[in-house]
Amino acid sequence: MIRFRTVSILATAAAVASMGPTAASAQDVLKIGFAGALTGYLAPYDQPTQQGLELAIDEINKAGGIDGKIKIELTTRDVRSETAQSAVVAQELVDMGINVMIAPCDVDPAVAVGQIAQAANIPTIAPCASTPTLPGIAGPFTFANYTADNLQGTVLADFALEQGYKNALILISRDTPYTEKLPLYFKQVFEAKGGQVPATLEFKMGQQDFSAEVTRIKELNPAPDVIMTAAYEPDFPAFIKQLRSSGINTPVLGSDGIDSPTTLALGEIAEGVVFTNAGFPSEGGPLAKFNAAFTAHFGEEPTSVYPATAYDVIKSIEAAVKATGGNLDGQALRDAIDNLENVPVATGTLTYKGRERVPLRVVALNRIVAGEKTHVADVTPKAADVPAP
Amino acid sequence: MDLFLQQVVNALSLGGTYALLALGLAVVFSVLGLINFAHGELMTLTGYAIFFALAAGLPYPVALVLGVLVATASAVVMERVAFRPLRNSNATVMLLSSFAVAAMLHVLFQNLISARPKAIPAPQFLMRNVEVLGLQIGAVQLVSIAVTAISLLGLTLFLRRSTLGIATRAAASDFNITRLMGINANLVISTAFAISGLLAGIAALLWLFQRGSVDPLMGFLPVLKAFIAAVLGGLGSLSGAVVGGLLLGFIEVGLRAYLPDGMQAYREAIGLTIVIAVLFFYPSGLVPRREAVR
Amino acid sequence: MLLEVRDLDVRYGAVHAVRGVSLAVEQGEIVALLGPNGAGKSSILNACLGLAPRSGGSVTFNGAPISRLPTEIIVRRGLTLTPEGRRVFPHLTVMENLKIGAAANAKLRRETAGRVEEMLALFPALTDRRTQLAGTLSGGEQQMLAIARSLMSAPQALLLDEPSLGLAPNIVDQIFDLIAELKRRGVTILLVEQNVELSLAIADRGYLLASGRIALAGTTAELKSTGRLERAYLGIA
Repeated sequence: MIRFRTVSILATAAAVASMGPTAASAQDVLKIGFAGALTGYLAPYDQPTQQGLELAIDEINKAGGIDGKIKIELTTRDVRSETAQSAVVAQELVDMGINVMIAPCDVDPAVAVGQIAQAANIPTIAPCASTPTLPGIAGPFTFANYTADNLQGTVLADFALEQGYKNALILISRDTPYTEKLPLYFKQVFEAKGGQVPATLEFKMGQQDFSAEVTRIKELNPAPDVIMTAAYEPDFPAFIKQLRSSGINTPVLGSDGIDSPTTLALGEIAEGVVFTNAGFPSEGGPLAKFNAAFTAHFGEEPTSVYPATAYDVIKSIEAAVKATGGNLDGQALRDAIDNLENVPVATGTLTYKGRERVPLRVVALNRIVAGEKTHVADVTPKAADVPAP
Repeated sequence: MDLFLQQVVNALSLGGTYALLALGLAVVFSVLGLINFAHGELMTLTGYAIFFALAAGLPYPVALVLGVLVATASAVVMERVAFRPLRNSNATVMLLSSFAVAAMLHVLFQNLISARPKAIPAPQFLMRNVEVLGLQIGAVQLVSIAVTAISLLGLTLFLRRSTLGIATRAAASDFNITRLMGINANLVISTAFAISGLLAGIAALLWLFQRGSVDPLMGFLPVLKAFIAAVLGGLGSLSGAVVGGLLLGFIEVGLRAYLPDGMQAYREAIGLTIVIAVLFFYPSGLVPRREAVR
Repeated sequence: MLLEVRDLDVRYGAVHAVRGVSLAVEQGEIVALLGPNGAGKSSILNACLGLAPRSGGSVTFNGAPISRLPTEIIVRRGLTLTPEGRRVFPHLTVMENLKIGAAANAKLRRETAGRVEEMLALFPALTDRRTQLAGTLSGGEQQMLAIARSLMSAPQALLLDEPSLGLAPNIVDQIFDLIAELKRRGVTILLVEQNVELSLAIADRGYLLASGRIALAGTTAELKSTGRLERAYLGIA
């Protein structure tokens, strides 16, 4: 909390300094508002996001601002992970005269924020909400940023088929679109390309105990070649522990939700798990560079990819402002973002052009080997293979 | 048949953990008439204590013991800080205070430690599979059942044999008369909280072995389950809490195991409907709290 | 004076139950506190033990003020109460009820076994009931258990609230015999009773309470002789 406040004061100070005698017009400051969940159930995503935003803005401002002249001022307000509070905060930020809005990490509050910003012609970017239908629901001023669920599902299905798996089991939870739809996108692609998904098991998020499900998997005939799920902690660790401890060694595929130190700390039971995420920090690559900058800035290594994806958001905004030649008008910015192509970001590149505001980005495949994340491949799925949201 | 027996073991293991949690709520409720909704945060504290103990290089078993002790001590401190000053106000005020404690701890954990989960490795032997009477049973399940049984036995002995235990039971039935025995009311209440903290700490170990990490909001769901179990068994009744916890375990595992695939989406609703149905026929729970005869 | 109550006031919200009552009990005495229902008798006893809200006045025991002390400390100083309606712990066994009576301090706890035997000798009816839950005892047995439980803390003074209430006449006689026996053993007793005749038969002195005030006080002989007792009971004092 304290850290956030300090930084926003610094950002303000930088903004005030830039309004000194040399820079006269208000055009020289780009105001970004982050309606973020610093507390509540979304805090695990929005707090790291805040860090990524800070880092990106700090870098840009230190270099003199966008194009060397437009400084960025960030205002973060806590939405407490509540949709109603998100709407209130969004309105406050709009009233403060922000130019770009950044939404919380889940679909419902992100839609609320996006709609309020849109009414004031302010573009919104949702840094880590991954539901591909989000921009469609919220309206033409709202953009996704994160690796969409249908991209991940496609990459995982392609990978499973490459491995020769023919019969997959999916484990879903209807509690969130992520845990439900991502495996269903997988199923859609897997079946379209000749695989079979005869069994779907359901879980309740936070249920801890997967013994009943595991016992049912034991009963399955034929046994599945592979198990795919978008469960994340605490569900994923509980599931795979009980799965492995009951002697089932079927390969397991997961999604970016399990990209966390907890998964690596699971030891031998997580060995061989393959999962997708927004990028792998290959040596000399942009993500490794970002992680080093993050560690230098915050004094600790990032424990998730969310700071990097938040950094990407600021890089997209920077690219859009450059494209408008410094015009901060909402409509102009919106159009500029919508036309971005191959923007170099921390996780690779981003393309919004022709993507209906859900960016095409690289999906990384990772495998856990001896408690370490190893790189399998970076994949950009064929647009035609990706299921419609 | 084998699979059925395995599901029974699964239900016992899950129900046992619920029973420990519900018992923790019930011990405090029986003495003070308070549902402590910050009970789950005691589990979270156990998790963070273990995390920091391991980070400080303490041996694994020491970290576990420390985790349980932290929950026990925190429960006593929680009573002292959040409930004792309000003891003479009505039960609703204390209930709200417990919510406030939970909310404050959430924010403190999120901002002083991390909003992201912290990994807690579980011993690798718990990942094995043990054969008992021809059944393949996960070691975690066996440990859960054994730990639950030992805890219940220990608690029963304490409540039956020790003077403090008898005093705690006496206070549960008639608080003022217990004071008339010259027994320190604060001591009895602190004991009840210590017991509830100890049970929360033990349950937290079993919970953490399964989930592999601790995060600021970890305690929310278990306290909810414990509350349902305690109501099911009869609020404030200790044996009721155990019965309610086991029953809830059997309901949940039974539905997950035997509900057809198409109906799985409704199983939470069906489970709660069963709970409501039980309460319809037994409005004070299955083993109602026996009120003092006045 | 062993127990002295001065200008005691007890209020329950708007209800003024005890209005400026003063009374005293000397070492070794049995003092009867008489009066119709609702006169405030139980409130006085409860206030002495810190169980009723005292809004004014003071209580001293053995010369020391006790009116601000918590109940458990008062009991540890040697004053205790056997409450109206017995209030034994119904789900504890007879033995557990007795044991808990001696839980106040370490010295008592060490002597528990001996004192339990003493109580069982004093209340032979309880001997066979040791392992039974107190809630399953008859009313008379519960009353005996309640008194025995109070005596486990070896009190100097015992406040007895309506010990004969709801009991069969032969049991009532047993209870009063017992009270007389306690006096012989040197226990000071303040007795609240509806049964005026039996009370005056064993008491040394008495107070008559009406509408929260002392209406009459004196030795039992004085109380009996004036004839004012009956009138006071009828509320025409």
